[in-house]
Amino acid sequence: MYRKQVRRRRAVLVALIVASLVLLSISFSEAESGPLGTLQRGVSAALSPIEEGASRALKPARDLVNWFDETFDARGENEAMREELAELRTELADAQQALGENEEFRKLLELEDSQAELAAFTRVTGRVIARSPTVWYSTVSVDVGTSEGVEVNDTVINGDGLVGRVSKTTRGSAQVTLITDHRSAVSARLLPDGPEGVVEPEVGDPEDLLLDFIANDEDVEEGQILVTAGWSNGRISSAYPYGIEIGRVVEANAGEQESFQQVHVDPFADMRDLDLVQVLTGGPERPGVPK
Amino acid sequence: MIVTPRLAVRLALIVVAAVIVQVSFFSYLSLLGATPDVLAVVIIVLGLLGGGVVGATCGFAAGLLVDSVLLQTLGVSSLVLLTIGYLAGRYREGFEISGRLTAPLLAAGLTALGAFFFAAVQLMLGVETQVSLLVLREILVKGLLAFILAMPLFALLRRVLRPGLVEETAGGGRRALSAARLRSQRRSRGAARLSGGIPPRRVRGETA
Repeated sequence: MYRKQVRRRRAVLVALIVASLVLLSISFSEAESGPLGTLQRGVSAALSPIEEGASRALKPARDLVNWFDETFDARGENEAMREELAELRTELADAQQALGENEEFRKLLELEDSQAELAAFTRVTGRVIARSPTVWYSTVSVDVGTSEGVEVNDTVINGDGLVGRVSKTTRGSAQVTLITDHRSAVSARLLPDGPEGVVEPEVGDPEDLLLDFIANDEDVEEGQILVTAGWSNGRISSAYPYGIEIGRVVEANAGEQESFQQVHVDPFADMRDLDLVQVLTGGPERPGVPK
Repeated sequence: MIVTPRLAVRLALIVVAAVIVQVSFFSYLSLLGATPDVLAVVIIVLGLLGGGVVGATCGFAAGLLVDSVLLQTLGVSSLVLLTIGYLAGRYREGFEISGRLTAPLLAAGLTALGAFFFAAVQLMLGVETQVSLLVLREILVKGLLAFILAMPLFALLRRVLRPGLVEETAGGGRRALSAARLRSQRRSRGAARLSGGIPPRRVRGETA
């Protein structure tokens, strides 16, 4: 009897492991519209109203717990913030002066304003209803989907800056891959007229992004702001439109043996505390970016 | 664990509730730089209460559900959760859970092991960017948070699953027995103790 139980237990274990590996294999090889993907989207769509309800109901408790954690962190950051505030006041005065000049130059050169480019998109506001529990998948689910016009590869922002882009959709929800996910890479440009590189995350540290492909001889300074590059050569283009703020340079190391600098960027959007986001739908077609 | 249909429904509800609470609440929290993994703790506790097959099956189902809900690659979470659920169950079948700290310590160790296993699977599947050493800190803190979460969860889930819990054998070990063998033991040993036992006539299912 006991042997029979042991045999059965082992059989169940082996069957479950094999089933997991088969799912993993199919999940990697199957197209988005395959039967497994369709089933997955069906389960996600069926459970998204429950997630939405749970997310709203549990938000006060979530905020309370995070408030304790943030208060603990804020004590250490207070002094640094005071110093930064003093520096920013000086910079603000310079920036206001530069802004006025900039407007005049723009009018003269008839350059397209980044805000004008973003104005071509329809903004669909969504609420984050679920997020991945591991650092290996920096993804969130939002409560807007194809029924609101959301499509794969649409850019997602919040009040602070770039958040990510839509990677999967269902009728009533969408998966957003954050810029801190290891599969993410964003073409970016340093302001005001700095070089372009690719922003990639460092798995395990959502507060640190790396700006890659910046040559050693390029001048990169702490505090420089990074925006999406939005390049296009007519056949292929960057997935994100031009001018969305990504973050600020906190450190730049030029190694002697390396051809590129190690530029660390602090993202503006707090990926750990996302609630409301905006999906930029429609807009001008970007060659090479599938919808 | 004697898995009756009613108990199977309870197990399914526990798994679904754990997945919803994980993705809608715990995944948003950042405590000491890590996210509490309540789903792993629930699976470990189910393994500790129900044995290897219950732990592995619940782990597989929970992994499948969480990957489906988040539209992630299917199979990775299932593989990790079924492994830790099975290991917890095997411990339960071979050893006594005597001290009050046994379950929390096991939850801490197995959650950290699960996080490490998840990281290893991800690295094998291919990670295109740099990996921070903070991943190690996250694994350790997850274990610590699992220790804290396991204390109330073990008590709560034991209460919910009480009708199907496994009895103690004469040797001190704990084994799940079939209904027939249960009755036979009762006859032969007189008064076999059932920890939170279910009356034999209500048993319909086979042991797990």
